[in-house]
Amino acid sequence: MAIRQWVKSALLLALGSGLCFGQAQTNPFAGNAQAVADGSKLFAQSCAPCHGRDGTGGQGQAEGMRPPDLTRGVFKAGRQDSDLFRVISQGVRGTEMPSFSSLGNDQIWRLVTFVRSLSAVTPVLAGDPKAGEALFWGKGNCGSCHQIGTRGTRLGPDLTRGGRRSNAKYLRESIVDPNADITPGFAIITVETRDHQKISGLERWLDNFSARLIDQSGNERTFLRDEVISIDREMRSTMPDNYSKMFSATDIDNLVAYIQKMRSEANSQ
Amino acid sequence: MKKLGWILLAATLAAQAQVTAPVTTETLTKAQQDPNSWLSYGKNYFGWRYSPLTQITTANVAQLAPAWILPTGVPGNNETTPLVNGDMMYLTGPSNNAWAVDLLTGKKVWSYSDYVPSGLGLCCGTVNRGFAMLGDRLFKVNIQSTLVALEAKSGKVLWETTIDDYKKGYSNTAAPLVVKDMVVVGTAGAEWGIRGYIDAYDAATGKRRWRFYTVPTAGEPGMETWGGNSYKTGGGSTWITGTYDPELNLIYWGIGNPGPDMDGTVRSGDNLYTCAIVAIDADTGKLKWYFQMTPHDVHDWDAVADPVLVEATVNGAKVKAVAQANRNGFYYLLDRTTGKFLTAKAYTKVNWADGIGADGRPILIANREPTPEGNMTCPGLGGGHNWSATAYSPKTGLYYFGATDGCQLFTVEKMEYVEGKQYQAGDALAVPKEPNSGSVNAVDPSTGTLKWKHPLMSNPSGLLATAGGLIFTGDSDGYMMALDALTGKVLWHFQTGAAIRSPAISYTFRGKQYIAMVSGQNLLAFKLP
Repeated sequence: MAIRQWVKSALLLALGSGLCFGQAQTNPFAGNAQAVADGSKLFAQSCAPCHGRDGTGGQGQAEGMRPPDLTRGVFKAGRQDSDLFRVISQGVRGTEMPSFSSLGNDQIWRLVTFVRSLSAVTPVLAGDPKAGEALFWGKGNCGSCHQIGTRGTRLGPDLTRGGRRSNAKYLRESIVDPNADITPGFAIITVETRDHQKISGLERWLDNFSARLIDQSGNERTFLRDEVISIDREMRSTMPDNYSKMFSATDIDNLVAYIQKMRSEANSQ
Repeated sequence: MKKLGWILLAATLAAQAQVTAPVTTETLTKAQQDPNSWLSYGKNYFGWRYSPLTQITTANVAQLAPAWILPTGVPGNNETTPLVNGDMMYLTGPSNNAWAVDLLTGKKVWSYSDYVPSGLGLCCGTVNRGFAMLGDRLFKVNIQSTLVALEAKSGKVLWETTIDDYKKGYSNTAAPLVVKDMVVVGTAGAEWGIRGYIDAYDAATGKRRWRFYTVPTAGEPGMETWGGNSYKTGGGSTWITGTYDPELNLIYWGIGNPGPDMDGTVRSGDNLYTCAIVAIDADTGKLKWYFQMTPHDVHDWDAVADPVLVEATVNGAKVKAVAQANRNGFYYLLDRTTGKFLTAKAYTKVNWADGIGADGRPILIANREPTPEGNMTCPGLGGGHNWSATAYSPKTGLYYFGATDGCQLFTVEKMEYVEGKQYQAGDALAVPKEPNSGSVNAVDPSTGTLKWKHPLMSNPSGLLATAGGLIFTGDSDGYMMALDALTGKVLWHFQTGAAIRSPAISYTFRGKQYIAMVSGQNLLAFKLP
């Protein structure tokens, strides 16, 4: 009986593996513009209800869910197109992501191609990544707040994969006008203690009962709302807003080119 | 001596036993007089979510502590309202799961699970909002548009009825409403170009008794409010449980958005009965009256929030009324006998209407329709108050609801209808640097006057009001909390460890008051030490 059970299990396992390997693992439409256009329509019909029409997840958030931002090029399920294919066709157990296997392989691959296009690197023809690297870690001192790979400091958003958005327009705007958009979790928190001390710092979190911040000395501190007079959040960046004066347009192009290059390398690993 | 011991034990057990009596029409009608149970989605037919229990009060709630925690083992958003009858609790979970729970130990007595097919059209996950009960039976919908009856004692399936074809975008999430010997259900799917309805099924057999379509067809009244053939994909979902007035024999149900959501150019007219509350004759399913809050909606402002039945005072006279914090940002009060508009008042920031006219129609502010670039409108897509359970306390005379406060950028795009595919034709995006916040609101139902507003980081889960002077709710960071029903001050909170999407309920077991709520995949029961 035990042997029969073992044989049955082994057969099932073999059959299961066979099915997995039997599926196409290479995206037949990689980089295909028509597939991106088709995928965009499919995305509006099948994915936008949760992920938003632009893939940033706004719609799902409005419905009380926490869909991942698909425009960052960072996917929890894996980095390969085959990983995205698996997630779309099988769903993700333990989340609200259902299976879309009924769309069929052809349409799922078109969707994968479109989702990939959301985080495609926009080439910065004028930018020199080498010069950008020198500026980032040298005169620019960007590494005192930002991390890329294993270098730098994780005070501001991690730029290993380009930050919140990775397109050149957004990166350029983030450098010259850091207050145009604030990455969630990077606002300024100000706490007024019961002895009327005001402590400001970078947001770590803020909820209905507590806040945690990094103060100007670099210390992380947690406060409970019912132990202080007030906790306020200001949607302002701690990043200096004078880089457009400090750096030339070429410098900024170089920085963007460097960040995008590093992102491409990180995503291809 | 030994014999005396057995007698004493038997007497003690008899005193402790809570009878799990069959649920009847009478017990449902008089549910408010039974503080110990929770037999339907809204606690009573009027949708009050008000527990008359008074052991847990504003004075002692700070001592509230967990009695037991049950991990259901099923992940996903859980939006259920558990039911309690006797010494048992019955709750549903996402992905077609359900359980019966022993109130003494917090352990599962039986489990129910059904397969979730691929190809569903879902806006918000495989959620489910609870059971209904009649006799010794439980009723729940499954996500693939079926209605199932279970034996309460064992969880055995007694019958299962297909409501509609899930491949066309129909799905089901709401707790059913038992009225007389019928099980009344609504449908989801307005983002998939469905034609919505409210259905009544025979509780004994699962056979359909009547259907009320929320979008008329050729030859029916209301057709003139749909340009061209747009009624065919008109939406009008019914995805939150309605309420019932046994004296008037009317069922009140909120109707969802028209389809496609954001592109109003393809469906000129008011688009009845979308974004309206309807009153339906319980025996025939025929429309008695309707009141449309948002004619020709283009912002997905469903009118599905609990239609709560209250006695209001209007111009010095008592009126049987229905109250609703609508998703469009206004609170409404209607005469529930006739549907006549009584009053409306904004409870959050509104920039699309300059108030509500004497005829009940919004006084529109120009150029608030979605645009390809994105047009900032307040409230955002989720409202205002969306769907989460509201509460009414006859003790304070106040109506309580959660809200999202803020705006969104509404976009529109051209979209062809394809059967079974999403048909929204637009989106709602966050306004940079202006994250939405949330609040718990207390309103005088007769006037719409805001009595207090407790600000939160985001919109809370559903509410429970108790005679102990408390409002219970939870947040997306996992905090369960109790507020003073008169002032909105937070008197107790507890970190449950996972996002809370469901409302709390209250019941007694062995004479002690409990508060139960689902957080993440766990069911938690609290009591005083």
